[in-house]
Amino acid sequence: MPDESAIATHDHASLIVAVAKNRDRIAFAELFNHFAPRIKAFLLRGGTPAELAEELAQEAMLIVWRKAYLFDPAGASASGWVFRIAQNLRIDAARRAQRADRIATEFAVEPAEVDAPEAVVDAVQLEEKVRSAMAQLSPEQLKVITLSFFESRPHAEIAAILKLPLGTVKSRIRLAFLRLRALLDEVA
Amino acid sequence: MTPTHHPKEEKLLEYFSGSLDEGMRLVVAAHLEMCPSCRRLLAGLEIAGGTYLDGLPAAPLGEHALERVLSRLDESEVSQPAPRAQAANDLPVQIRALAPHQLGRWRWIGPGVYWRSVTLSQQGPMRVFLLKAAPGTQLPQHTHDGTELTVILQGAFRHEGGRFGAGDCDDADDTVEHRPAVEEGEECICLVAMEGNIRLRGFLGRLIQPLVRL
Ligand SMILES: [Zn+2]
Repeated sequence: MPDESAIATHDHASLIVAVAKNRDRIAFAELFNHFAPRIKAFLLRGGTPAELAEELAQEAMLIVWRKAYLFDPAGASASGWVFRIAQNLRIDAARRAQRADRIATEFAVEPAEVDAPEAVVDAVQLEEKVRSAMAQLSPEQLKVITLSFFESRPHAEIAAILKLPLGTVKSRIRLAFLRLRALLDEVA
Repeated sequence: MTPTHHPKEEKLLEYFSGSLDEGMRLVVAAHLEMCPSCRRLLAGLEIAGGTYLDGLPAAPLGEHALERVLSRLDESEVSQPAPRAQAANDLPVQIRALAPHQLGRWRWIGPGVYWRSVTLSQQGPMRVFLLKAAPGTQLPQHTHDGTELTVILQGAFRHEGGRFGAGDCDDADDTVEHRPAVEEGEECICLVAMEGNIRLRGFLGRLIQPLVRL
């Protein structure tokens, strides 16, 4: 079986472009097959109930369809862009759930605008740099970045998972991001 | 010159994930326009997030999920590239993030100090405004019980926390008591998001207080 993730990066970007330019449903179906189950896994991991995770994964893919024109293949990575949509949607859903008892209609399905960080360097080039920077982080630093950033877990929960005092977790997160910034600045 | 003072990590992450309120979001966005290092960090995190997503073991969807979504594609056929709002304000530094917002007029609030409102789309506990101070001005000493985030658009000031020049972000928390002094040279223009009540001292303080409470 070929390694899907290795060929994916470039392909997914052109599929999103095909969706944006030609409203290409076959391209969309391909994106769906790759991303929707991973978005669902991402949501399940964050504690979203299965039924809602299913619904939100579909919602996320509808956003991919609607917002494909915002994707800039020269400045962003396809999976990074989709990750951002999924993360925004999850936070928006959590916010909606919190406010549901107050104003149910306040939030339409539209999530917060997904505007990508400015393209600073060529996406492919930056991708390599990010890979090398991430590889230089210690396992502990990777762990706190995964928990705090990828999985958006509250500091208290991270402290419980790692069995560390809250203060230690906070400074570890801070140091991990400082190191990542330094590594990315260095290679710029 | 690249900024050396950045927003705290939590704020950048909240910006990234879309959970910052509009006021803070605006100030962080202004900083990002002026800070290649933060742009790189966020772009890097986005890529790393994508790699993380790609690497997750797939959780299969329900049987007809794709068909269901395909059948809904047309109903959601709306998004047109929204025309980018024109930066139509008279600020010497053009900040794209400010373009959609209506700015009030500069109002004199004390010797060498002017204040200008920035309208947000929703009124909340967060206020955003611009502050302009003449070179050499000593700004009022203040403390506050909420959060405050400032980005310097032009000029520079100094306080106990260091020197803050164009693009720098002053991410103060409620324990800090600051008395910024504007440097000689250029007039200093800042964009400020502020939550909670500010307590100002002295003559300038009394003048500025009613305005920032608006
Ligand atoms: Zn910065």
